[in-house]
Amino acid sequence: MIQFDKVSFAYQGNEDRDSVKAVSDVSFTIPDGSHVVFLGRNGSGKSTVARLMNGLLLPDEGTVTVDGMDTSDDVFIDEIRRRAGMVFQNPDNQIIGTTVADDIAFGPCNLGLPAEEVRSRVKRAMEETGMSAFSDREPYALSGGQKQKLAVASVLAMHPKILILDESTAMLDPASRRALMDLILKLKEKKQLTIVHITHHMEEALLADRVYILDEGSIALEGTPAEVFDKKDRVLSLGLGLPTHIEIAHRIAYATSVPYQPEKVTSFDGAVQFVREALATFSDPVLIDGSPEGEALSGTSIRTENEFLHTKEQTAALSQRESSVESPVVIDVNHLSYAYAGLPGSHVQALQDVSLEVRQGEVLGIVGHTGSGKSTLIQHFNGIIPSSRGTVLVLGVDLSERKIIRSIRRKVGLLFQYPEDQLFEETVALDIAFAPKQMGRSPEEVAHSVEKAAKRLGVDHVLDRSPFDLSGGQRRRVAIAGVLAAEPVILALDEPAAGLDPAGREDLFDDLATLTSEGATMIIVSHDMEAMAKRCDRILVMKEGRVAKIGTPEEIISSAAFLEDASLNVPPAKRFLDALADDFPGLAAFALDAKDTAEKILEAVCFSNNNEQIFLREARSAMNDQRSFSKNNESSSEVGSFPVNHDLPSHSPSSKNNASVLSNDALPIRQDIALSSRGNERLSDIDKRSIKQDRPSTEYASHNGTSYTKSKSCEKKEESSNG
Amino acid sequence: MGKRSLLGRSIPGTSLIHRLDARVKFIAAILLMIATLSAKSPIVLAVIAVWTAVLIALSRIPLRIVLRSIRPIIILIIFAMVIHFFTVGGTPLFEIGSIVISREGLISGLLTALRISLMVIQTSLLLTLTTTPIAIADAMGRLLSPLEHLRFPVQEFSMMMSIAMRFVPTLLDEAMRLMKAQSSRGADFDTGGLMRRARGIVSILVPLFVSSFRRADDLAVAMEARCYGGTSSRTTLYAMKLQRRDYLFLFAAILISAFVFLWQDLVK
Repeated sequence: MIQFDKVSFAYQGNEDRDSVKAVSDVSFTIPDGSHVVFLGRNGSGKSTVARLMNGLLLPDEGTVTVDGMDTSDDVFIDEIRRRAGMVFQNPDNQIIGTTVADDIAFGPCNLGLPAEEVRSRVKRAMEETGMSAFSDREPYALSGGQKQKLAVASVLAMHPKILILDESTAMLDPASRRALMDLILKLKEKKQLTIVHITHHMEEALLADRVYILDEGSIALEGTPAEVFDKKDRVLSLGLGLPTHIEIAHRIAYATSVPYQPEKVTSFDGAVQFVREALATFSDPVLIDGSPEGEALSGTSIRTENEFLHTKEQTAALSQRESSVESPVVIDVNHLSYAYAGLPGSHVQALQDVSLEVRQGEVLGIVGHTGSGKSTLIQHFNGIIPSSRGTVLVLGVDLSERKIIRSIRRKVGLLFQYPEDQLFEETVALDIAFAPKQMGRSPEEVAHSVEKAAKRLGVDHVLDRSPFDLSGGQRRRVAIAGVLAAEPVILALDEPAAGLDPAGREDLFDDLATLTSEGATMIIVSHDMEAMAKRCDRILVMKEGRVAKIGTPEEIISSAAFLEDASLNVPPAKRFLDALADDFPGLAAFALDAKDTAEKILEAVCFSNNNEQIFLREARSAMNDQRSFSKNNESSSEVGSFPVNHDLPSHSPSSKNNASVLSNDALPIRQDIALSSRGNERLSDIDKRSIKQDRPSTEYASHNGTSYTKSKSCEKKEESSNG
Repeated sequence: MGKRSLLGRSIPGTSLIHRLDARVKFIAAILLMIATLSAKSPIVLAVIAVWTAVLIALSRIPLRIVLRSIRPIIILIIFAMVIHFFTVGGTPLFEIGSIVISREGLISGLLTALRISLMVIQTSLLLTLTTTPIAIADAMGRLLSPLEHLRFPVQEFSMMMSIAMRFVPTLLDEAMRLMKAQSSRGADFDTGGLMRRARGIVSILVPLFVSSFRRADDLAVAMEARCYGGTSSRTTLYAMKLQRRDYLFLFAAILISAFVFLWQDLVK
């Protein structure tokens, strides 16, 4: 049992800054055998709380006790640390031994156990974590997932009662993350462990008995997963997200006015079942055709019907435009193969006969399992890895000519994984200026590019500070600005959002999206299928060094079997659709996100009911919300009352364009629907963040006069209903 | 990734050589190193070559990998060889311009190359290839343990050594990654003026230092979380008891070394 009683803690500040209060007045009790998850944005104090639990940090005020032992009492500290074992975030920085077995032995040896006992514990721990085959391996020869399993084994050998996971899954790919969580759950069951898990992944929070959300060092929200995710507005305003299936359930509950059941929808299957039942009542033809409610609905939103029709036309026009315009090829890879020396004496074939074309202005996503050659491929794009077999043409130049490499690097920006590690200058401004300076630009040009890049990434207010004083998220942004300052026309990014919290991820992608609207070509490597589907025009799937498939997000994600075969995560939106496929024959096989999924489910329902007009109008308007895709959709106002964002790189026409149309005038419509219609659930809450995107709501109103008027009328309604 | 260095990377195995006590290997390697470097006559070198071949066979490590261990110093070997070619006088064999290469010079050069190669192969075979860094560090700690009486912190020293060894590959990988990242931003390491290159190197060293400190910090926390430096005295896991094979091997190594010295004395 872990008890925090009014605990506060501050890190000692350095000379020029005051000490930062990381945790203030936090109290909670974690009972034996429970599974507790701590959520929160980067820098919300989660890791500090974890380190207070086993005396790695000692509270300034209040007390922390583990099984009744005070962590600030030296007598107990070894026993506390033995009982409360900890697995950290970075797989590389917690392995002490030079082999797997040595590392597991480290803890028991520190306890001074007899050598025989140590050896048997090592053996057991390896068996329990499936690491027996690697006993003599050295840590560098393990994958990230194996390293974290080793870290778990090393803790197990101490025979702990509590397992603290401090963002232990943050640096893993989805498959290893799932494997690690499966292992943890199995161990919890078998050994009656108490699990304390700190994470950014909302899906992982669903496994918990109790969830705490931290914000600026205090507990902002707590409860069971069902209770916490029921307060969706609060969760979103804390910079987190909803698990996809819960968000879908929220939306369907709202659209169908079936009361939302927080407990039931917490599990994925429960959410599917909930949606199925909600739609079964709603698709009752009597309800739509004859009921007073149906009439009331058609009365309120005739506009939206027209809107929808127009939207369809717009969509068709857009997709035509896109297919007719063939932008020039900027990267042309032909039969590229590459092998590097792996373990002594062996070669790893990283790329095998890869061919692809990247067109100007497109956003290409590259996905694939760990070791599928993604990073190796993009490192060919600016000649960092010379092409040995096959050719790479960038902007028409063959990169095998080493002389031109330098000039190509000015055009192709390459961002490595965890780029915050590459900062080295005294100030942020100097660091961002490094690339343009090296490329021989004039001081004025350099200053201009630095300012522009810093603004784009929102780090222009820290230009004079040392990069080492910034938070991790800010350092990431500075590093990206450092690549953008060279003003590349092609930008290749390796996992740009890895390790960021949900809001931070979205914001970063939004900021990057402004680049494509200016004509830059972008290549993004990521594990995050959902983000890729939303952000990319095309997706390239790599498998074991080969191109498994290349196509639009729709083409890639439509087959769950294909994704599984390529060891990729099937996005939850897609899983949700598949789970309902048998219930609704016309159901789409692909959706971008929760919102899109809900729309498509509703479309399928009306399709089967032949009630398209009424239903769609209703459904669409209800679904109107969610943050907009791109920050700079100002230009859309030129398109009259149908703000279609031409800046959007939308190649998957129907869904994406609709989404952007809807999101542009999101506020007025959304509010009016939320207020006028019968639902007591307000999806509007989800919009907190799109409001936050520093755009006055009047701007939305100007896009669409009618809906604005309508929203006014609805405000009246609300007033009357409130009164 | 390019070519990975063999530095600090052992090849797991269960051969006789792998199982030998690290202390024995350490002492044997030093003995053989001295013996090989002082071997002058072709016969003695031939005996050492045979002995080295036996070692390779016993270790069951592919010849290809064993030979790779001399790659880093191949230039040094060629240099030493060429120096001998030109400087040792004797019966002229052939002339290039004013340079005369003698028969003795040629033989002496080749023997030198062989001597250095054999020495390097033996050492890397006994130590780096078949012994994990932690075992080497442990062995050093044991061999230094008499110094404990002089208040030398032997345990901490050997822990430090083994952690350093453990992080060599990690830091090498990180340096490679930084080099690629910074050259993507236009950094220079081998072209351009002195200032440019210096800046290029700084752009790698600073982040490398910063990350090393962060790693050290993380590692210290991780060690503390696993009760390092606690109240109980640490268990020594490898009770390092010499087996029969260890005595036999040590005996063989002493025998070979003794042969080298005695034979050369006798021949004189």
